[in-house]
Amino acid sequence: MTKDADAPTDSSPDAGLPSDEWTSPPPAPETLPPRSLRLPMRTDSSATMARMLEEAGKQASPEIRESERPPAVSERVTSIPPPISSRGGVHPDIPSYTLFLWRIAKTAFESTWRYYLWMTMLTILALIGVNAWAGQTGGGMIHTNMTDHVSWGLYIANFTFGVGLAAGAVMMVIPAYVYDDHDMHDVVIFGELLAIAAIVISLLFVIVDMGRPDRLWHLLPGIGRFNWPRSMLTWDVIVLNGYLLLNLHIAGYLLYMRFLGRRPARRWYVPFVFISIGWAISVHAVTAFLYAGLGGRPFWNTALLAPRFIVTAFVSGPAFVIVLLQVVRMFSAYQIGDGPIHTLRQILRVTIPANLFMFGSEVFTAFYSGGAHAASMRYLLMGLHGKTTLVPWMWGALALNFASLLIVYLPVSRKNLRLLTAGCSMAFGGIWVEKGMGLIVPGFVPSTLHEVIEYQPSLTEWKVSIGIWAAGLIVLTVAVKVALRVLTGRVTIDTYAHSLPPRALPGGTGL
Amino acid sequence: MTPTKRRTLKVLGATLGASAFAYAVEPLRAFTQNITLDQFLQGHFKELTPEQLEVTLARLEQETKDRHGRDVTIRADPAIEGVEFGYGLNLSICVGCRKCAEACHVENNHDRASNNSYIRVLEMTQGSFNLEHGNASYDHAVPAPDKYYLPVQCQQCDNPPCTKVCPVEATWKEPDGIVVVDYDWCIGCRYCEAACPYHARRFNWTTPEIAPEEINPDQGYLSNRIRPQGVMEKCTFCLHRTRRGELPACLEACPTGARVFGNLLDPESEIRWVLANKRVFVLKEELGTRPRFFYFFDK
Amino acid sequence: MSVRHRAILLAICLTACGAKDEARQLAPILGSAPGEVEINVPAKLSSIEVDAVDPLGRPLRIACATCHTTKETAVLPESPSELQAFHVGLQFQHGSNRCASCHVSEPLRAPKLRLADGTELPMTEALQLCAQCHGPQYRDYKAGAHGGMQGFWDLRRGGRTRNHCVDCHDPHVPKPPQVLPAAAMRDRIPVAAPARGEEGHE
Repeated sequence: MTKDADAPTDSSPDAGLPSDEWTSPPPAPETLPPRSLRLPMRTDSSATMARMLEEAGKQASPEIRESERPPAVSERVTSIPPPISSRGGVHPDIPSYTLFLWRIAKTAFESTWRYYLWMTMLTILALIGVNAWAGQTGGGMIHTNMTDHVSWGLYIANFTFGVGLAAGAVMMVIPAYVYDDHDMHDVVIFGELLAIAAIVISLLFVIVDMGRPDRLWHLLPGIGRFNWPRSMLTWDVIVLNGYLLLNLHIAGYLLYMRFLGRRPARRWYVPFVFISIGWAISVHAVTAFLYAGLGGRPFWNTALLAPRFIVTAFVSGPAFVIVLLQVVRMFSAYQIGDGPIHTLRQILRVTIPANLFMFGSEVFTAFYSGGAHAASMRYLLMGLHGKTTLVPWMWGALALNFASLLIVYLPVSRKNLRLLTAGCSMAFGGIWVEKGMGLIVPGFVPSTLHEVIEYQPSLTEWKVSIGIWAAGLIVLTVAVKVALRVLTGRVTIDTYAHSLPPRALPGGTGL
Repeated sequence: MTPTKRRTLKVLGATLGASAFAYAVEPLRAFTQNITLDQFLQGHFKELTPEQLEVTLARLEQETKDRHGRDVTIRADPAIEGVEFGYGLNLSICVGCRKCAEACHVENNHDRASNNSYIRVLEMTQGSFNLEHGNASYDHAVPAPDKYYLPVQCQQCDNPPCTKVCPVEATWKEPDGIVVVDYDWCIGCRYCEAACPYHARRFNWTTPEIAPEEINPDQGYLSNRIRPQGVMEKCTFCLHRTRRGELPACLEACPTGARVFGNLLDPESEIRWVLANKRVFVLKEELGTRPRFFYFFDK
Repeated sequence: MSVRHRAILLAICLTACGAKDEARQLAPILGSAPGEVEINVPAKLSSIEVDAVDPLGRPLRIACATCHTTKETAVLPESPSELQAFHVGLQFQHGSNRCASCHVSEPLRAPKLRLADGTELPMTEALQLCAQCHGPQYRDYKAGAHGGMQGFWDLRRGGRTRNHCVDCHDPHVPKPPQVLPAAAMRDRIPVAAPARGEEGHE
């Protein structure tokens, strides 16, 4: 990594920030915020943060000293008309919140070549997906391989999986807040950011599956016709959007407080966190009820579907987060202990076998009594009337699930994170097949008139799906990146206020 | 890297990204060009005033002329008081000739390439009602020995699973019992197609293509006008005909007279006679859908 | 129309709705008159097709009366295989009936049908003859549950034309012949021009 000899020393918004932050130490101490701000936040983070900012204010960098020395941080926070209203009443921090969002959004465009490469690759994939979707919307859904027999396919499969991922990401919230696992507190935010990205993915999958996306406004209550409460899809619209807003609020609020160096007020996030626990379960239960409520589809019409969904969500969520945490460790100075990863592994030790047990229960119920209602399960596991397209998928998924079960139970996976990551990837892939293609498609095979018409996604469907996952990863990368900027103190009210042009600051502050 | 160089690269990248995006969404133009503002803003059928309905019907007739090259009449006859439609099907007489499916295809302006029809005829083995052993793609002389034929179409259920699940209320049950779809309100999510236990619904995977001379010009807003791409459709018991008192097209085409249609509220009707004198059953009764389509055998 | 206008319109509609629910006056459809149920009288009841064609190429039909009132016809045979001069090649598969079970053929008289008790019927009244033995089917036919029809279900608004028994059931071989069915729906249609790299479908 080359160091930048001519680091900027002017007062542009980029001042004070290194050109790359991923792996190398900053080039010159004079141009950086104090090193203390990059210490790990292990214990009660906000108090530590406040204390460190105090110190930082006292040992301001030479560059700041060169210009008029601003008051210490604690003073500054009160002498500038406070962005947060401690007086009560209407919050004048709304404009500041917007500026904060704008500020951190800009950091998404300031990084290393590796980051740009990653984002460019994702953008290319997303654009390929957009193009394929545009072709599908213009030319008709005939470009997919769905038919009147199998009328939902890869898109809804991915939607189902994405909602589960979103619900499961919040799984870390339970140990952190319900069981007061302090190590978890530091990393809960990543779960919430993953939930945001996963909801975006799910919503995109629903939109691309619609035959008439131009008629989306028909869903808006008041202007359109919203068939609530009869239609489970309307419940799903409500809970998914609500969940998105919840996570945006919690993550945004916590980051904003960190940015300002203030202690987050419990009433603004703790109730929402507890709501999000219940809401996450209901998000995925509602999605399950979409399918379970259809009497004409015996493969789905089972009471066990909602519990299975929740359990598989709590496999895919933690599996992804374990990998995400290691990625964060690799690319950022933000310290994450092993505690959260061990806790998540413990969770996987419960949920992976629980899911396999439930699947076994379904298999038993179908095959012991036999009859026509076993036809879908038979198609899935053994093929029906010679049609066997899904059989390798399903057995592959089962193999992945069993392999991941083995890995999380091996004691070595506690220390050997590479093995654990492999296990998590297997669990993720296994659940993707089992809950996606292995759930949606067999619901349609055999059809309601017991005909076996098979389905394999078309190229358009693959392109759109990969494009949406790429878009979701873009959202996740940007979210995690800006969160890390704030969490490691790279971007704080200090750097922000300092980087503002003078006219933006109100007069009479001593500056 | 100097800030100027960095900024230049960023601007270059942004421009490249924007033009790549514009190129990527270009196929959407084919779609958006076909949608007028009136079409986009058109309200739900049940919310249109009589004047708005007139205007809408006139516009749709003009659009059909422009796009498909044929002068058509689109009507929106309301349900008649005191009429609830019922349909009977005599499985002893049906020979599986599929003339009903063919008539449906012609009457309802279906896409020619797919030979789409709302009626699907299953060839079943005598003595068994196992749909798993049914065959819808038989292609030999009928009736084959030891087989009977089961045509299936929309059952116009009294407790329809499809209308329950539609998120935008684009499909509903009319007072005369027919479950209809507002093609200009449907968003194409296909939830109703997943919910229907009788494989009664069809989706327009593409815009229907029909030669102008083959178009049936006698059309109804809720029934057989030419549907746009991306919306659901289904059998409507030919309501553009039956609400004028005529028989549905499938019944008129049936050479053996296996089909019986009429007003369930009229005690003198043929369908009431069938219900009173034949051993009538419905498909998938255990699902509680309460169909209005009654099957019977003579013996 | 803007969204606000639509919202206002929506409010107006909700208060003013109901105007659409009246039954509209329907124009009568040309054709059969209301209440009339017309039973088709197939040509084969009063004429027979011969091998010749007329100058327009249509198959020639000769009225039964043409020959039967001008020629000396033979006595009804025991079975159609005994026919030598006319109606040769007639197939017969109708249980244990004989020609004389249904037909009355006297020289120089138009042919007639006869019921089991000897009552004579004109050929065009064949329906009564079928009905005398096939009671259940006739009962179903009268109730509208057997035999094709075209026209109106609502006889107050229009009439109806019904098939005659003989339209489907040849009285000599009543079992309707097998037919080839119309084409089934194709479950997948080919995409017109596959996009670059995209596969076609079956």
